[in-house]
Order: sequence, then C-alpha cells, then structure tokens
Amino acid sequence: MAKADIVERVVDYIVKSIVEEPEEVSVTIVEQGPDDVVAEVRTAKSDMGRVIGRRGRVAKAIRAAAGAAGEEVGISVGVEFID
Amino acid sequence: MSYVEIEVRAKTVDLAVEAAMQELGVDDREELAVTVVQEPERGFLGMGGTDAIVQVKRSKPRKRQRDRGKKGGDGSQNKGSRNRSGNGGRSRSSGKGRQNKGKSAEGRTSKGRDMSKRPDKKEDDRDDISIDKQTEIVKDFLGGLVDVYGLEGEVVTKVEDDVIIADIKGEQTEALIGVRGSVRSAIHELTRTVVQRYASDTARIRLDIAGYAERRREALTIYANQLIEQLMEDGGELMLEPMSSADRKVIHDAAAANEHVTSYSEGDPPKRYVVLARTDKPDGDEEE
Repeated sequence: MAKADIVERVVDYIVKSIVEEPEEVSVTIVEQGPDDVVAEVRTAKSDMGRVIGRRGRVAKAIRAAAGAAGEEVGISVGVEFID
Repeated sequence: MSYVEIEVRAKTVDLAVEAAMQELGVDDREELAVTVVQEPERGFLGMGGTDAIVQVKRSKPRKRQRDRGKKGGDGSQNKGSRNRSGNGGRSRSSGKGRQNKGKSAEGRTSKGRDMSKRPDKKEDDRDDISIDKQTEIVKDFLGGLVDVYGLEGEVVTKVEDDVIIADIKGEQTEALIGVRGSVRSAIHELTRTVVQRYASDTARIRLDIAGYAERRREALTIYANQLIEQLMEDGGELMLEPMSSADRKVIHDAAAANEHVTSYSEGDPPKRYVVLARTDKPDGDEEE
C-alpha cells in the first residue's frame, strides 16, 4: 500500500535514531485491511529494550508518532515489536 | 529481604495501585498486598471528592534481574525536571510506611541509571557531551522527523538556563501536535530517548510545535481562572485531572496571582495533579 510509505518511513527513522545498531533495523508494513496496517519492527536483540523503553514508554511514543503518520494519509496504524 | 510498604493516594483505588506498582517497580499486581485505607468519593466532573488511599506492600521478593533488564531500554523522562534533589539520596529499602507524595518513578529511573544498566560496554561509552552538542542532536533529529513526515517546517533551537528549547515552526507541523498534544508528548519522549542514546547526562528539553505550548498555556490559564472564580464563590478544594509538569506550572502560576487561593500537587507522575484550595472563607460567608 503506497499510502503506508509514510508510516514505514517515520517508524524506520525513529527506530534507527534510537538504537545502537541502525543497520539491524527493519520495518515491514503488513496490511490488515483497506485502511489498516501494522508496522512490524525488528532490531538487534540488544536494542529491543531501548526501543520499548521502561514500561513501554518509548514503544508507546513510537505508536503515537506512527499513528500521526497514518492520519496524514487516512489509515490506522498499529506497531508491533518483534524479537 | 525487606518489604517496603508505601501509602499512595489517588483518584481511584486502581490508579493508586497503579502508582504504587510504578513506585515499587512491580509489573504484576499479584506481587502486591494491597490494603485500602480509604475508598474514594466522587466529586463533580472529576473535581472535588476525596482520594482513594491504599497501603501497598510487596508480597513477593523483588525480581532484581528482570527489573534491571527492563531499565536497559530506558526512555525515561529527563532527569532534572522531576528528580528532586531531596529524594535523590534516599534509600529505597528504608521506608516502611513511607509517604510517596512527590516522589516520581522517573526520578528513580534516572537515579538507577548509572548503576543498573545492562553491563553493555557501549552504554559506558556514552560521553558526557556538552549541552550545545545535545542541542544539535535534538535539532537534527527533529529536522529529520519533519522531513520523513513530508511536512514543511523549521526547527529552531536554543539553550536557556541549561534547558534545551526546541520549537518546530510551520503551519503544517500542527499535524505533529495530536489530540490534546498527545503526538507532541510522544515526540518529546522520543527526542529525549535519542539524546540519551548519546549523552550520559541529558539536559532538560522543552518542545513546542506550531505554537501549541503558548495556546495551551492560554487555554489552561482561562480554565484555571474559571476554577479559581468558582473557589472564590464556594470555597473548599478542587482536584484537577492529572497533568504534565509544564501544565501544572501554568495552574500554579494562575493560583499564585490570587491571594485567596493556594495550589499544590499530589500523586506521582504521570498521574500527578494539582489541587486548588481557598485559603480563607468564601465571599458569601464573609459578606453576609
């Protein structure tokens, strides 16, 4: 879904800015419905804690930022962190 | 193994227990023994009423290892804002029945950070970098963020009183504010996290987007003044909804401008809230 490009770009940029090993980051957009995607985030094992943050604070912030990206193009966005 | 017991006050029993879990660093409610000291009474529209008070004790030994692992990925609030110096050196295991007002989970995080990070040597390699350099990191990150959103905007940064002040300007960047500033808060959190990745000693950061902070300050001041007017008529106390430290300051400032009203904060972030109280008798009582 081309519309989801912005979501991928935003999530990829944020996660790569946070981790120690940006080259290990991958963001995959999985379509759930016509206007509904999930961004699957993978990082180096050692970085996952950083990306999720204490009590999920950082993960929550990434979800909010991704949601704002989705809103720009009218899709709803989920973010899953996969280890 | 000592079992710390704390007393927490919040709007509801659930919120109090949640705050206690944060305070004790417990993820699972099952690990806590909860005694309800006072059931809450509802006020009108979330204002007034009495708090729930619970005493909470850890019922199982602390899982140290797991907790430390979590802290590794810490995206904590900036330290300076809430880690009050008076709390910094307090031992965690000493406080039986200790009140936790004014203590913050964030404060503990930053305190624990130096010693309880995962033993990753990269962690130790972070430099004690200057605030100017940190400001540059903030500017770069936010500038890049505006770009990936495809928005037109400009990031202006400056340093004032050891605080990094970042302002994302441009009409389009309103998209980065969100409902009640939720996206702005998220970006703030992410900005801190990015700086923490490089700097061991992170400066406080203030972030404004498309003039939101100014508008919010104005709206909050109007709201506070309405409540103060109500207090002037009816007296008593008004308990506000939980707010960020910046928002609470606006309320405190409004209260400070009125000699008949005082204000103070209760509870732990992110559920910390302001109470406005009349310091003398309401107008009606005085005049009649």
